[in-house]
Amino acid sequence: MSAPIGAHPFSAAFLKAWVDQAGAFQELLARLADQSSAGLHPSMPPPHLAPWKDFVDGLGMGSFNPSEMFPGAPALGLSREYQETARRLVELSRQFQQRYTEFAQQNATVMQDAFHVMQKRVDLPPKSPAELYDAWIDCAEDAYHQAAHSDSFARLLADLCNISSAMKVERGKLTEQLARHLDLPSRAEVDSLHRQVRALTAAARKPRKRAQK
Amino acid sequence: MNTASDSLAQLLQSAAAMQESGRAVLKTMLGMGEIEVGTSEKRCVYSEDKIRLYRYAPLARSAGLKPLLICYAMVNRPYLLDLQPDRSFIRELLHAGLDVYLLDWGYPDGADRFLGFDEYVDGYLRRCVEFVLKEHAIDSLTLLGVCQGGTMSLCYAALHPTQIARLITMVTPVDFKTPENLLSKWAQHIDVGLLTQSGNVSGDFLNLIYLSLMPFRLTQQKYVNLLQMQGDRVQLENFMRMEKWIFDSPDQPATAFREFIQWFFQENRLIRDELTLAGKPLRLKNVTAPVLNIFASKDHLVPPSASIPLGAHIGSKDYEALEIDAGHIGLYVGGKTRKTVPAAVMAWLKKRS
Repeated sequence: MSAPIGAHPFSAAFLKAWVDQAGAFQELLARLADQSSAGLHPSMPPPHLAPWKDFVDGLGMGSFNPSEMFPGAPALGLSREYQETARRLVELSRQFQQRYTEFAQQNATVMQDAFHVMQKRVDLPPKSPAELYDAWIDCAEDAYHQAAHSDSFARLLADLCNISSAMKVERGKLTEQLARHLDLPSRAEVDSLHRQVRALTAAARKPRKRAQK
Repeated sequence: MNTASDSLAQLLQSAAAMQESGRAVLKTMLGMGEIEVGTSEKRCVYSEDKIRLYRYAPLARSAGLKPLLICYAMVNRPYLLDLQPDRSFIRELLHAGLDVYLLDWGYPDGADRFLGFDEYVDGYLRRCVEFVLKEHAIDSLTLLGVCQGGTMSLCYAALHPTQIARLITMVTPVDFKTPENLLSKWAQHIDVGLLTQSGNVSGDFLNLIYLSLMPFRLTQQKYVNLLQMQGDRVQLENFMRMEKWIFDSPDQPATAFREFIQWFFQENRLIRDELTLAGKPLRLKNVTAPVLNIFASKDHLVPPSASIPLGAHIGSKDYEALEIDAGHIGLYVGGKTRKTVPAAVMAWLKKRS
């Protein structure tokens, strides 16, 4: 039997984690902006994942988490699946942070290159702020164009995209669990229905096509 | 003689003028209200799931040509071709006496995530073509594909060559792996299976990618240039229509998007003759109808090098390439091109009537 929404301790913890995550992203961005704090302590979850740690701990297995006490040990117990998902999310977040820092550094290099080109191009004082601005945009786009066409840029961008996609998949698993707990239609259920509708539509179309012939 | 203080005074004067212009722009924008797009009269003649087939009301005596079906890209909305009365590719064709149909893919949602690329080409597009053929009691029509819609039209023409009397491709990628193609370079390492594993790909994500192609121009300079409009209402309305179109981007159905990126961008199957669609091998050599291939010399999304190779790969003996001095979008709404491009299309069609 499922408890009403809000009354279920599981859903309350999940929703709190969901809401807290939004605020925590701002802190993450602030940290990313500060290159000196780019390397987080390995035992410390990134700010936007801290709420999920609380959520997993709240399941009652937080104090018994062998993988936390012995890094690399498999997750055990009732909350095993959540621990695994949370661990993957933390790891993906660490990877994202690392690659994003590289991305930010690459962009900083682009800006530096643009300034160098700008210095060479503008010998005379500009006639207007608009002229100065347009010259800057030209230089910035030229420098960016050079970087953006490189293989390293493409790989960095793809890594960020792939890591984000993997995080979305993991978050989906948690949402799926929550939907089941609350007796709500889950994504998997809706997908299954869509497949059935498609199969039925295709089956219905065949006799119609035969009749037309 | 110009002194440092003169220059500074000049700069300050310009800054003050810009501030004044900004105020005028803001004032005009606040009083603008709703922006109208796609104003030419049309009616829906066929619909299925999210897609709609529209037929435009005639604006002139018929030129006696076969009806034209426009297949637009799925990644943007087709009203770019009929943005406003004085910037409408479609309206120009109607004024020239053409019977115009437009396939609108709509806004796919979660219910469409398992639809494959072949279901769009050999399903929805085929049924729209068959509808037009039946409506006019004819065997073939003119198909005009735009951007990704051009690639889809090419696929269709290769699968059903007898139904296509003339094929017009506009800013259409054919060779997806040329050195100038930045989008393609970025797509090579993306795990598109993982990207689409949790559903459709959002239009916002695609817009982010497009903006990243020229981030300084598209996210900064474009808005700073608004100041030069000095509060000119007509110019600002034009700007807002374009702004609406740019960010009105439908989500992409997961399976079709995955297949499109993997088969075309990553594996370049179309030009390699390695594509199979709807269980049938697809060969560009099967495209035998006369083809007009229009591309834009300043296109940053589909560089000319991606479109130009078409002629060497199709079976048609009547092939014409037309290079237009414009960008990907300017081709339809640019000062001169909004008249010259439809005129060139009409001239090409009339020559083959």
